[in-house]
Amino acid sequence: MPDLDDELMERYQKGDENAFTLLVRRHQQPLVNFIARFINDRDSAEDLAQETFIRIFKAANRYKSEGAHFKTWMYHIASNLCKNELRNRGRRDRYKVDNVVNSGSDSDGDAEQIDLIASAPANPAFEPEVALERKELRNAIQTAISELPEQYRLPLVLRDLQGLSYDEISEVLELRSGTTKSRINRARLMLKEKLKPFI
Amino acid sequence: MNCLQAEEHFSAHLEDTLDYQALQGFEEHLAACEACQHEYTRFQESVKAVQQLPQIEPSPYFMSTLQQRLATEQREPSSVKEESVATGWGRVLDVFRRPSWAYSGIMALILAAAGIFFYQNNPLFNQDFRPASVATISQGEQITTSPEALRIELPRFARNSRQFAPSNVISTPTQPMQQRYMLKQVSYTTTSTSGGL
Repeated sequence: MPDLDDELMERYQKGDENAFTLLVRRHQQPLVNFIARFINDRDSAEDLAQETFIRIFKAANRYKSEGAHFKTWMYHIASNLCKNELRNRGRRDRYKVDNVVNSGSDSDGDAEQIDLIASAPANPAFEPEVALERKELRNAIQTAISELPEQYRLPLVLRDLQGLSYDEISEVLELRSGTTKSRINRARLMLKEKLKPFI
Repeated sequence: MNCLQAEEHFSAHLEDTLDYQALQGFEEHLAACEACQHEYTRFQESVKAVQQLPQIEPSPYFMSTLQQRLATEQREPSSVKEESVATGWGRVLDVFRRPSWAYSGIMALILAAAGIFFYQNNPLFNQDFRPASVATISQGEQITTSPEALRIELPRFARNSRQFAPSNVISTPTQPMQQRYMLKQVSYTTTSTSGGL
């Protein structure tokens, strides 16, 4: 029995425009969450999520439901876009650092970075002190995630924040199952060390 | 099972995917090792904290912006670049898109081409060239009238000019001073002196 995403893709391939809109509605929130957590930047996350859907839109005729699952295909495209974005950002940052060193001014890199924790909906049931502590912890977790090496951060976000299975993550990252499991365990161990002052 | 091996099983134990043998070894070690008990508790708490991070919602304008972009894309299909994501040859080519690699590669190719050109055209690297035979003549020790005996090896780039020389003239290298000197020596010895000098 084909899953709903495959059915929607088939319908879209046959000319049903609404099927693509439904696909976007189903996946826009998890995709934005994934990209924002991975690259630690909410504004760029929206842009990259839209870019992912445009790539899917353009390549829809080549999609075959027997070959891959829509969800893993979507995350594969998004992961590659994120990697390119981070690579380009690294180049820009190197350039920026050089300029800062030359001009002797402070870096404005932090100003560009959106505080994901602050922008996330807070639970009003908490006391202010508790909420502040909780916000600090969330902030620390997001910072710790963003400090992980890319090869560990990506499977960790897919597993612990997106809830993908190990098989799905292996498909997205084109890794063997054992490598995926090992990287996720290693990423969690690194995170445990980074969060030592908080947990 | 030691502490490092136990640590490798933290995720599998947390997700209940260990087989019977590994589970038994892990739990035996944990029961005996206080440090691992402490680390495993912290591991569980940090995983739980990550999983409880709130979901980030897209802005209310996400869909409308996307529809605008898709409409633009349908009108101008080339406005969005083809997917350059790395698979197969794309990964190899991707390396050369990085400026440092690209420039290094181009410089290496230029240097290699220049080196080959210089090696092929410079007489210093030509093993056929034997200037010693010229020195022998110039010292006048073995002067002979035979053009064959005085023939010297020429550098490769001068060889072609030899075939245009008259048969009774000694072939010489291209340096004009050297040519003049050798011709003078030959004419001197072939002139009859009738026992004079």
